[in-house]
Amino acid sequence: MKEQTDEIIMGMVAQGDLDLLKILFKRHHLHVYNFLYKMCRDKMLSEDVTQEVFYNIMRYRASYKNGKFVSWMFTIARNCLKKHLKKNVLHHDDLDDVSYRLLDNEVPKEDYTHLQKALDKLNPSDKELLVLNRFQEIKYAELAQIVGSTEGAVKTKVSRALKKLKTIYFENL
Amino acid sequence: MDKKQVIDLLPDYLDGVLDPVLEQKVEAYLKECPECREELEQLKTLFDAFANEEVAVPSHRVEASFLELLEQEKRKAEKVVPLNSKEPSTRPGWENFLKVAASIAALVGSFLLGQYLQERQSHMEIAALQEEGLELRQTAMLSLMENKSASRRIQGVNYIDAFGNPDETIVRALTDRMLHDENTNVRMASVEALEKFTASEIVKNAFIKALKVEKDPGIQIAIIQTLVRIQEKKAVTPLKELMQQDETQPFVKEQIESLLPSII
Repeated sequence: MKEQTDEIIMGMVAQGDLDLLKILFKRHHLHVYNFLYKMCRDKMLSEDVTQEVFYNIMRYRASYKNGKFVSWMFTIARNCLKKHLKKNVLHHDDLDDVSYRLLDNEVPKEDYTHLQKALDKLNPSDKELLVLNRFQEIKYAELAQIVGSTEGAVKTKVSRALKKLKTIYFENL
Repeated sequence: MDKKQVIDLLPDYLDGVLDPVLEQKVEAYLKECPECREELEQLKTLFDAFANEEVAVPSHRVEASFLELLEQEKRKAEKVVPLNSKEPSTRPGWENFLKVAASIAALVGSFLLGQYLQERQSHMEIAALQEEGLELRQTAMLSLMENKSASRRIQGVNYIDAFGNPDETIVRALTDRMLHDENTNVRMASVEALEKFTASEIVKNAFIKALKVEKDPGIQIAIIQTLVRIQEKKAVTPLKELMQQDETQPFVKEQIESLLPSII
């Protein structure tokens, strides 16, 4: 079973073989966790949301439509995270401000790498694209599915985000 | 190809995903353009930084709770048996009645036969499933008891109700909570959980040890009552010592005084 693709395994999970989900959990929970942790910088929240992501994969297994599993998984992950960040905000804040706010509240920043600090200075959607593209090695086509855009548009956005990041990274080095 | 185009292609060039023709063009251009090479160097540094970023690892609780949720979902899935709604009969009459009767007879017959044949095997399977579930619950319980949040730890302690006959790992984890948890409520919950397992020597000894280290009067009283209820003779000396100590609350002393004779 180890050699099977995520898609075949998830197809079987959708058919009711729930135990196979353990394989997908083993393969991907670190990816989900690291994506969340890079985005929100909150370990407890990332753990809770990771759990929720796999719970949702299990719960909504029947709605899996044979697409790329990783895209589906990250789509769920970013929706879950958004929901949680929204919950933490009392009123009328733009989501874009929210991640910054959360960052300000977290105290220990010293052990962040230079790269993390630079990423945190980007706006959340640029940061998200780079985290997915560079850390999770998500290709443009899947990235487009995840964020609900076209491959061409995503490619341009990633390229711009990378330039912004490079400028920030080197001016503060 | 101009400089801007080349610079735009550099990320893909570094990732090695350009098609060979473009790749050669970029390489040729790089030789002529120091600025582009500088750009490439910076990009390399940045990509290396991405590559060297450490992978964060979540605590064990994520996996344990996932497995627990999976078990719950499996139990739920087993219960849901799809039922086909009966087709309403369109042609009343004997023929139809006999058909229905025959099919009911066949259905009942095969059901009984199937039940008879499967009974022994399914009993074994259910037992195996329950055992597997128990193992996962145990993992979940142990990991909850290590949680940072006190309420989670209490939740973990209370999981004991799911075990008829907990094994030594669980019992030791519980006594550990009772003796060393920083939170009074967690210690109290552990005392209550362990009360049911006083037949075990480990538990008895832990209660006696707790008597010596516990400072909270409420928990002291709960421990004293348990030890008296089980008539633990080894508790007599530590109880007397507790009565002698100055910091022991007067009502705790009274409690010992009134209950001690019932052990002896």
